[in-house]
Amino acid sequence: MLRVENLSLRRGANQVLSDISLALQPGQVLGVLGPNGAGKSSLLGVMCGELNASQGRVTLDDRGLSDWPGQQRAQRLAVLPQVSSLGFAFKVEEVVGMGRLPHKTGLERDQQIIDAALQAADAGHLVGRSYLALSGGERQRVHLARVLAQLWPGEDGRILLLDEPTSMLDPLHQHTTLQAVREFADRGAAVMVILHDLNLAARYCDRILLLEQGRAHALDTPQQVLRPDSLKAVFGIDVLVQPHPERGHPLIIAR
Amino acid sequence: MNRLVKPRTLFVTLTLLCLLAIWLSLALGPVSLPLIDTLRAGARLIGLPVAGEGLEQAELILGQIRLPRTLLGLTVGAVLALSGVAMQGLFRNPLADPGLVGVSAGAALGAAVAIVGGSWMGGIPEVFAPYLLSLCAFLGGLGVTALVYRLGRRDGQTNVATMLLAGIALTALAGAAVGLFTYLADDATLRTLTFWNLGSLNGASYLRLWPLVLVAVVVSLWLPRRAQALNALLLGESEARHLGIEVEKLKRELVFCTALGVGAAVAAAGLIGFIGLVVPHLVRLLAGPDHRVLLPASLLAGASLLLFADLIARLALAPAELPIGIVTAFIGAPFFLYLLLRGRA
Amino acid sequence: MRPRARLIALCAGLVFNTLAQADTLPQRWVSAGGALSEWVAALGGEQKLVGVDTTSQHPQSLKALPSIGYQRQLSAEGVLSLRPDVLVGTEEMGPPPVLAQIRGAGVKVELLSSKADLGAVETNLQQLGRLLGNEQQAQQLFAEYRQQLDALQGKIKQLQNSQAAPGVILLVGHAGSKPMIAGKGTAGDWLLKQAGARNLADNEGYKNFSVEALAALDPDVLVFADRSLSGDQALQALLKENPALNASRAARNKRMIELDPTLLVGGLGPRLPSTLQSLSQAFYPTAQ
Repeated sequence: MLRVENLSLRRGANQVLSDISLALQPGQVLGVLGPNGAGKSSLLGVMCGELNASQGRVTLDDRGLSDWPGQQRAQRLAVLPQVSSLGFAFKVEEVVGMGRLPHKTGLERDQQIIDAALQAADAGHLVGRSYLALSGGERQRVHLARVLAQLWPGEDGRILLLDEPTSMLDPLHQHTTLQAVREFADRGAAVMVILHDLNLAARYCDRILLLEQGRAHALDTPQQVLRPDSLKAVFGIDVLVQPHPERGHPLIIAR
Repeated sequence: MNRLVKPRTLFVTLTLLCLLAIWLSLALGPVSLPLIDTLRAGARLIGLPVAGEGLEQAELILGQIRLPRTLLGLTVGAVLALSGVAMQGLFRNPLADPGLVGVSAGAALGAAVAIVGGSWMGGIPEVFAPYLLSLCAFLGGLGVTALVYRLGRRDGQTNVATMLLAGIALTALAGAAVGLFTYLADDATLRTLTFWNLGSLNGASYLRLWPLVLVAVVVSLWLPRRAQALNALLLGESEARHLGIEVEKLKRELVFCTALGVGAAVAAAGLIGFIGLVVPHLVRLLAGPDHRVLLPASLLAGASLLLFADLIARLALAPAELPIGIVTAFIGAPFFLYLLLRGRA
Repeated sequence: MRPRARLIALCAGLVFNTLAQADTLPQRWVSAGGALSEWVAALGGEQKLVGVDTTSQHPQSLKALPSIGYQRQLSAEGVLSLRPDVLVGTEEMGPPPVLAQIRGAGVKVELLSSKADLGAVETNLQQLGRLLGNEQQAQQLFAEYRQQLDALQGKIKQLQNSQAAPGVILLVGHAGSKPMIAGKGTAGDWLLKQAGARNLADNEGYKNFSVEALAALDPDVLVFADRSLSGDQALQALLKENPALNASRAARNKRMIELDPTLLVGGLGPRLPSTLQSLSQAFYPTAQ
C-alpha cells in the first residue's frame, strides 16, 4: 500500500503542499481534483519519488519509497506523466514494450501483455505505426498502455499514478481510458488519477481528494466531496448537483 | 516514416560491408601489390606455413602499414559511432554529437598544448612526441568532460540541459585557448596543429594502437548492456526512473564511455568529425531507434564508413594523402542531407 | 710529418669510400623541402627525383613530379609507392611514426637542416653531394655561394658607411588580405638583414599586425610576397586591402619590391644570392 503521512512540500518561499495524509487502497480509484496550481501534480511527484517532501514521508508497504531498489519499485509502481517528450521513431508496440523492462517474464508472455494492454487502452489498431506519426491523443493512449503493461494484469499490491490521462482525448476515449483504469482497479490495483472533469471523477472514482492551495479540502466519496458548497469554495463556481438518472453517481451541472 | 530494413538484414549487410571494407583496406594502397602476394603475405602474418621468398615488401606493407592502419580505422570508427549513440541517448536528441560534452574541444586543447608547448621547449624528443601528443589530447578530453559533468551536477542529480550549456561554454573556452596557442605558434607549428585537427590514420603503429583497442573493447562491450536502459531514457528521465532504471548511474556511464572512447580515438587519430553524428542517425533511419539494434549496427557502420573514408584519403591524391576528417565530412554531410530529405518526402 | 700522414690517410679513405659507394648510390630520390629540392636540382640530381613535397616549387619542372603532400604530413605507403632509395627532408619532415615506417621499409631517410644560416647550407650541400656522388661539385657550389654572399656583405658594409640602412618590412599575404609580417628568426628576417636592411618588425616569427601598427612602422621600403598573385596585381591587392600602407614612405616613394614567396620556405636555397643582390640594389638605389 502506498501511504503518505503529514506531507509538506516547499519550493523556495512557496508552500506547495501542506500536511497531507492519505493511503491508496487496493481495488480503489482515488481522484485528485483542484484548480490550477492547487498542487495536484506536485503531490503525484512526491508520491512517485520525483520530488522530495520537505516534511512527512511516503511509504510503500511500510518501507520508505526512496529505500526501494529501482527495479523492484518499478514492478509495483507505475506513473503516467501529463506529457511525454519521446522524440524518436519507436513503433507503438516498442513503446508499450518498455513497460515490461522491470520484469523478466520472457518474450512470449511480454508480447501477450503488450497486446492486452494495447487493447485495454483502445490502441490495438495502432500496432506497427511509428510513435512520431501519432496524434496527441493517440500518443497519450499508447503511454497509458505502457503503464498498464508495466503493472499487468493489475492485481493487489500494484499502484498506478496517472496525471491527467484524458487531457488530450476525445469524449469517447476519455471514457474508454477511465474504464480501462477502472477495470485495472477492479482486479486489485490501487489507482490515483488527477482529473479536471468533475463528472468523469464522479463516475469512475471511489474516493476523491479535493485540493485547495496545497491543502486537502476534502477526502471522501464523490457523494460527500462533490457538493455545491465545496465546489464553490474550491473552484469558485456555482453548480447544481443531481444524481445521475441511470447510475446514481453525482452529476455536476454549471449554473 | 517506415523502417527500411529489418534488423537481421541490416546486420548481415553491415557485416558484409565491414568485411569488404577490411579487405579493401588491406588490399589497396598507393603501393600496388599483386593479389596473390597480398594473400600469401597475409597467410604468413597469421602464421600459416607459406613460402616467404620475394614477399618481404608485401609483408612489410601489409603487416607494418596496412594492418595497423586498418585496425586503427576499425576501432576509431566503431568508438566514434558508439559514442555518438551514447550522446544522442543522453541528450535525447538525434542531433547530439560526442563533441557536445566538450571531449573534442578538450582533446584539441590538449593537443595544442603538446604541439605548441613542445615547440617552445625547443621540441620534444622525436621518440616521445607522438605519445606525449596522444596523452595530452586524451587527458584534455577527459578533463574538460569531467568539468562539464561536474558543472551539470547539483544536489546529486545531473541536469542534462545544464551540462549541454556547460559543454557549449567550455567548448568555446577551450576553443579560445586553442586560438591563443594558434596565435602564439610559429608558422610550422601552426600547420602541424591544423593537420592534427583534420584527423588522420596515417602512421598507425601497434604501439599506439593497443590502448585504443582496449578502450574500444570496453566501450563496445559495456554500452550494448545498457541498450534497454537507453531506450527507456528516450522516454524521459523520470519515465526511465519509473521503469526501474538507475538514471544517474546510466548518465555517468554514458559520459564516461564517451569521454574515454572519444578521448582515446582523438588521441590516436586526431579530430575526425561526422562519424559520431551521421552514423547513428543513418542507422536509426534505416532500422529504427531501438538501441539493441542501433548500438551494434552503429559499431559496424562506423567502422566500415571510416575505413572507406580512409581508402579515399590515401588513394585520392596518392602518393600524398588527404586528411580523413575532410573525407568523412565530404561523404557524411551530403549523405545525411539526402537521407533527411528522403525521409521528409 | 704526422699531420700530413693523417691527411693522406684521410684522403685515401675518402676516395676508397667514394669508390665503394659508387654503385650503391641512391638512384631514386624523394625530396621534401623546397630549398633541398632546388639544391638537388642545382647539383644535377633532378633526373633522380621521383617525387617531391608541396613546398618544392622550383625549378618549375619539379611540379610535374608526383606530389607526396605536405612535408609534415607524409604518407608511408605513398612515399614507398614511389620505390625510393632515399628520402631527403629537413627536420620539419614528419610525422615521426611515418618516418619510422619508411625507414623500416629499408629506405634511407636523410634529415638535413632548414636553419637560415650558412653553416647549415654547407653541411646540407656536403651531405647531398655525398649522396649524389659529386662532392666536388657540391664543394665548389658552396664556395661560390659563400663568395657571392661575402662579396655582397662587403659591398653593403661600404654602403652603410655613407648611408643609413633603410627600415624595411616584409609582408607575406594571400591576395593581399591579412598579410603576415616577418619577424625575428624567420627566413624573411635573414633575407632583409643580409640585403642590408633594418627589419622594422621585432616580433618573433610571422604575425598579423593591426592596420594601425602597420601604419606606425612607416617603412622606407616595403617587400611583399604573395602566395596567390604576382607582380602589379599582388601589389594592387595589398594596397587595396591595407589602405594604411598608402601613407607610408615606401608607398609615397614607390619603393615596393616583390619577392617570390617560395624563397622563404625550407631553409636557404640556391636562388638566394641573386635575390639578395636585387634586394640590396633596391635598398641602396644610389649605389650604382
